[in-house]
Amino acid sequence: MTQESKSPRAEQQFFDDPAIDRIMGAFMALATEHYVLLDRVRAMERELVSVGTLDRGALAREPSESERAETAIDRTAFVEALMRPLLGEQDAAGATGKFSLK
Amino acid sequence: MDDRSFVAAQDFLLSAKTYWSTTMYRTLRDKSAAANKDVVDEQVETVASIAQCIEDAPLYQFYAWLERHLQRMKYAGRYGLVPYHHERRDDLLSALNQAFDAEKILDIDTSLALPAYYTGVDIHQHPGGVWSDAIAGMVYERGARTTTPLTGAAEKDVHERFTDLVLGECSPTTVLDMGCGFGKSTQPFVRRLPDSSIDAVDLSAPCLRLAADTALQSQAGNVRFRQMNACDTDFDADSFDLVTSTMVLHELPPKTIEELLDEAFRVLSPGGRMVHLDFYCVPDAFRRFVHYGHARRNNEPYMQPLAELDLSVLVESKGFVDVEITPFQESDRVDLNADDAWRFPWTVISATKPEGAAS
Ligand SMILES: C[S@@+](CC[C@H](N)C(=O)[O-])C[C@H]1O[C@@H](n2cnc3c(N)ncnc32)[C@H](O)[C@@H]1O
Repeated sequence: MTQESKSPRAEQQFFDDPAIDRIMGAFMALATEHYVLLDRVRAMERELVSVGTLDRGALAREPSESERAETAIDRTAFVEALMRPLLGEQDAAGATGKFSLK
Repeated sequence: MDDRSFVAAQDFLLSAKTYWSTTMYRTLRDKSAAANKDVVDEQVETVASIAQCIEDAPLYQFYAWLERHLQRMKYAGRYGLVPYHHERRDDLLSALNQAFDAEKILDIDTSLALPAYYTGVDIHQHPGGVWSDAIAGMVYERGARTTTPLTGAAEKDVHERFTDLVLGECSPTTVLDMGCGFGKSTQPFVRRLPDSSIDAVDLSAPCLRLAADTALQSQAGNVRFRQMNACDTDFDADSFDLVTSTMVLHELPPKTIEELLDEAFRVLSPGGRMVHLDFYCVPDAFRRFVHYGHARRNNEPYMQPLAELDLSVLVESKGFVDVEITPFQESDRVDLNADDAWRFPWTVISATKPEGAAS
């Protein structure tokens, strides 16, 4: 596998900016993980329904207002963590902008 | 990784590949046709004119990226075929039948030198190639189950269809399968010709071990697997009625293809038939553009040179007659005249060694 492979060779490039090639790799890896997880959750549901521990109807029903309110704080934090990097702002004060040591 | 996670991830990648080979392919084809119309007369469309029009389009860039990286993830990703089989290495190897010698079904030549074209590239992005690791045959077998993803499970696969075609035209008593891999191309001949003698050769010991194991499990007594270079075998001259190969020519540099044809000629009996299944007749410039791109992206350096060879002239120059080169329909669902999904340019190349020819 990768660890044992010979000398490193540069990957092929398809986008004008090679950073996009790499970020696509991370994106597809996450998409795969997401699908694996989804599959696992569904399998778990099937198991629990089959032994009678879980009522699938109860799980699939629209959440009540109080349940949504309960999860709202967590949801907001999730969205913030996801989207805050787009603002391009510092978390810890220091030098700003792009720099070069050329 | 457990089996469920592996299968879920591989299924996800296969679904992505299916979207890529249908919707994405068609969108790219339409975009290319539209862009080309603005630039050149359709009559003079070439690989270069298509490249000129479309290579900078984001759609093409995503298309190309996905072709390379879906295959990379299939083999080498976290849920890839290589790590999955690697984790199960000991069990897999101990499950391989050990009774080969007694059965005279397998002959491994540990001193065989592997050619540089073969060891220099990890073909179709299989890390380490199909030869360097003892479990490579099993990795390749699992991967090959989805080589033609649009063929349904209930349909005859490409090897069965090819065997139908070949045996529809001849009834050989001696058969040589050149570059048999893990035996997928050999099996239909073994099954359908119980009274014939079938030899199969390949460079890859791990693939041959799996081929022999599968044959032993089905109690086939009419086949032998040997580790040999198909271009330089130990068989006597004039010893086969049929010499065949499946998906081998495109892995060989043009000079090696010549050597393979020479060897096929030598070992064929006069009047015997040679039939290869490979990727050759590309119907138009767009599909040529896509095919050459596939070759580059999938680590297949000799695919384009094969597609550019004048095979008919080459085969005739080796002494063969009745040369036929015909597009091949690899699945019931494929319409050779349609272009609604990505596919390999499957082609049958066949020729006869004339009666009375000296080897
Ligand atoms: C794509 S695989 C096809 C295997 C098999 N024919 C099938 O259809 O499943 C190509 C095979 O050709 C073998 N090969 C490449 N060069 C060869 C050579 N010079 N002599 C024998 N086998 C060779 C490889 O090891 C590999 O197993």
